[in-house]
Amino acid sequence: MSKQRVMFSPVTRLSGLLSVDVIVENGRVTEANAGGTMFRGYEWIMRDRHVTDAVYMTQRICGICSLAHGAVASYLLDELFDNELVENAQYLRNIMFAADFLQNHIRHFYFFSLPDFVKMPDRPPFHGQNPADIRLNPQDNQRLAEHYFEAVKAGQESHQILALFGGKAPHQHSFLHGGVAVAPTADKIAQALALLGNISEFVKSRLVPDTELIARVYSDYFRIGITPAQLLSLGLFRFGVKNENFLWRSGVLADGQLHPPRLELISEEITNTWFDQTGTGEIRPDPLKPGAYTWVKAVRYAGRYFQVGPLARMIINGFYKGGTSTMDRIYSRTLETLLITELMQQWLKKLKPGPPPINQKSTPVKKEVTAVTDAMRGALLHTALIEDEKVVKYNIITPTVWNFSPKNGSGNRGPVESALVGNEIPNQDMLFTILGRTIRSFDPCISCATHLLDCKGSVKAEVVY
Amino acid sequence: MHKEDFSRLCHTLSSDKNNALSEAVLSVVKDHQNIKNKKKLPVVWLETNDSGDNNIAFMNTTYPYLGRVFEEMIDLLYSNTFMAAEGRDALNILDQVLNIYKGKFTLVVEGAIPIKDQGLYNIIARTKTRSITALEAVTRLGEPAEHVVAIGTCASFGGPSAARPNLTGSVGVRDVLDREVINVSGCPVNPDWFVGTLAHLLMYGKPELDQLGRPTLFYGFTIHRHCQRRSYFDQGDFAEKLGDIECMFSLGCIGPRTGADCPYRQWINHVSWPVKVNTPCIGCTNEDFPDGSTPFFTPMPEKNKKQGDQNSPAPGVDQV
Repeated sequence: MSKQRVMFSPVTRLSGLLSVDVIVENGRVTEANAGGTMFRGYEWIMRDRHVTDAVYMTQRICGICSLAHGAVASYLLDELFDNELVENAQYLRNIMFAADFLQNHIRHFYFFSLPDFVKMPDRPPFHGQNPADIRLNPQDNQRLAEHYFEAVKAGQESHQILALFGGKAPHQHSFLHGGVAVAPTADKIAQALALLGNISEFVKSRLVPDTELIARVYSDYFRIGITPAQLLSLGLFRFGVKNENFLWRSGVLADGQLHPPRLELISEEITNTWFDQTGTGEIRPDPLKPGAYTWVKAVRYAGRYFQVGPLARMIINGFYKGGTSTMDRIYSRTLETLLITELMQQWLKKLKPGPPPINQKSTPVKKEVTAVTDAMRGALLHTALIEDEKVVKYNIITPTVWNFSPKNGSGNRGPVESALVGNEIPNQDMLFTILGRTIRSFDPCISCATHLLDCKGSVKAEVVY
Repeated sequence: MHKEDFSRLCHTLSSDKNNALSEAVLSVVKDHQNIKNKKKLPVVWLETNDSGDNNIAFMNTTYPYLGRVFEEMIDLLYSNTFMAAEGRDALNILDQVLNIYKGKFTLVVEGAIPIKDQGLYNIIARTKTRSITALEAVTRLGEPAEHVVAIGTCASFGGPSAARPNLTGSVGVRDVLDREVINVSGCPVNPDWFVGTLAHLLMYGKPELDQLGRPTLFYGFTIHRHCQRRSYFDQGDFAEKLGDIECMFSLGCIGPRTGADCPYRQWINHVSWPVKVNTPCIGCTNEDFPDGSTPFFTPMPEKNKKQGDQNSPAPGVDQV
């Protein structure tokens, strides 16, 4: 068989726009260039704005994980203004954050991933589905296809919990620096518990068994889409008066060793990205740059690529013992969803009815802060440098930048590209199916991933990187 | 009705008097025709420069929920977010739409259109030989569409994607098409505004639009006019900090010049909206969002002064 170049575009059922340029030789993928094809320049948009605009502005980077940006911007401002968080604020923030996790994970599994494994009804938007490798028996298939439509309500109810406390979703309003602007009253807590009851029931009776069934029937996907076991998490669910504690630990797992992350070891580069560096060191977009194939930059930790997301969190925290394949990623996302429904239940019960738990200080005590959390798709970092409360520089590294990093100058592959290369393609009809399943297992969010940063130095050394 | 049932019905009633057979058959045929000819809007949905928040907002629709929208209201022929088809199969569907549904489909655009550098900042799909930019796709599909609906503020007016310094030269759909665009603005859109606009197109044709091309049904009055905290404003009783129960004008609310029905309608199954959670309205449906709204927490008159630009109020808004 000869060498063949195939453009997989558009990769549908994800957030944002993605094209993957693939080389197939003798029935095997030998190269893959994953290209994020949208660019907005968000860090530039942040410049010269009042720093407290960051929560509402940065949420608009991403429509699907908006609260994660709002959360990390709030942590950043908490440190900048030296805020102290009362206990109700800590619980309420994590309840809201968790509600957005449920929304993300449920919708990812049913709306984006399920049509990769289940034959959907033959009508829009499911027409033209490739039936090349649908393996479920008719009864199971029909049941899971019906669950797609049940997931509609579970996803909506997750956002209803968020809106109950946050005013709206996406882009909630009340989770701000200093706490949460809404009062946790008995009626709201009861409504949230009722909604969560429905969602938990859905997760236990649908999402978990559906994932197990797909993992069983498509068990070969535990051997497909394997990445190097280099996993990173910046920690999740921050508690404490100063957001000092993470309920789920952060960590960098490589060579079988787990270490706490050191942010100064994070670096980015632009060899294959549509950016140029001017003589003064400033980065400018250049969509015609020869050889480049994406708006996503290459981000590395201590010079190596790392995979981020639910799989990294579950393994680093000891909740999951599996590997790093396509099905491991899907499986651990479902496991995380289940764990989060249980945590939310506990947190809601710990809320005490009372006034809005917010106390914002008004004078910055720092000029420069880096804040981190894990978002739904993995590690998220915001850095702000301010002057007179105005943003001089605002830098963002999103989870999809980690996972969809293009090759660096030495040609090393990032997590997604390495998961694609090496896979066997038994026949032409299966090409997009195999690639699509593997790409979606990373839950890509390209609108998040493509931003313009200055990339020199490191986080601690110079703010910009 | 199943074929067997239909045959049985014909046999049973074949000798009946009083035209019982015709009566029974006609009603069955009528029902069948109603189902078969049931009008749905053929929709092509292009995602361009945006955050994806509007397709998430669309998923949050209740009554009808998303499943019912797909079943009864629209045939979503192309959508990067929802379609089962992928790669070349998806692009082929887009080609077919142009042939089969010319003049009949509704084009929904989610996101702003970058026009700088030939629009290369947003590529909706690539082939081995070329890139299809959002600019090209929207221009090409915009003309033969029966209706063009811009969902969200980026698609309507540029929105956050076109916020200063707007490196990509992003603009709203209206600026790249020489035809009427129905703008359903909001950051994100309230699903009721979008699904309500689709319902209007389906059942009653084009809705009445304001000067910004938005359905007056949803955008005709200001937030301020219907705000639950209007009495505080009228009495000069202003909030001192976020979390207070008084009027949020002092904390940057721009409800007085924002057309939207949030106070009545509210969000996500109609449970809340920003002022109800003790924060200001940031005017996300406005033509000048977000630059005309920032700094978000600075009162309106000072906001304008600080930015040094002319925030002329939108047509017909209440004056403060």
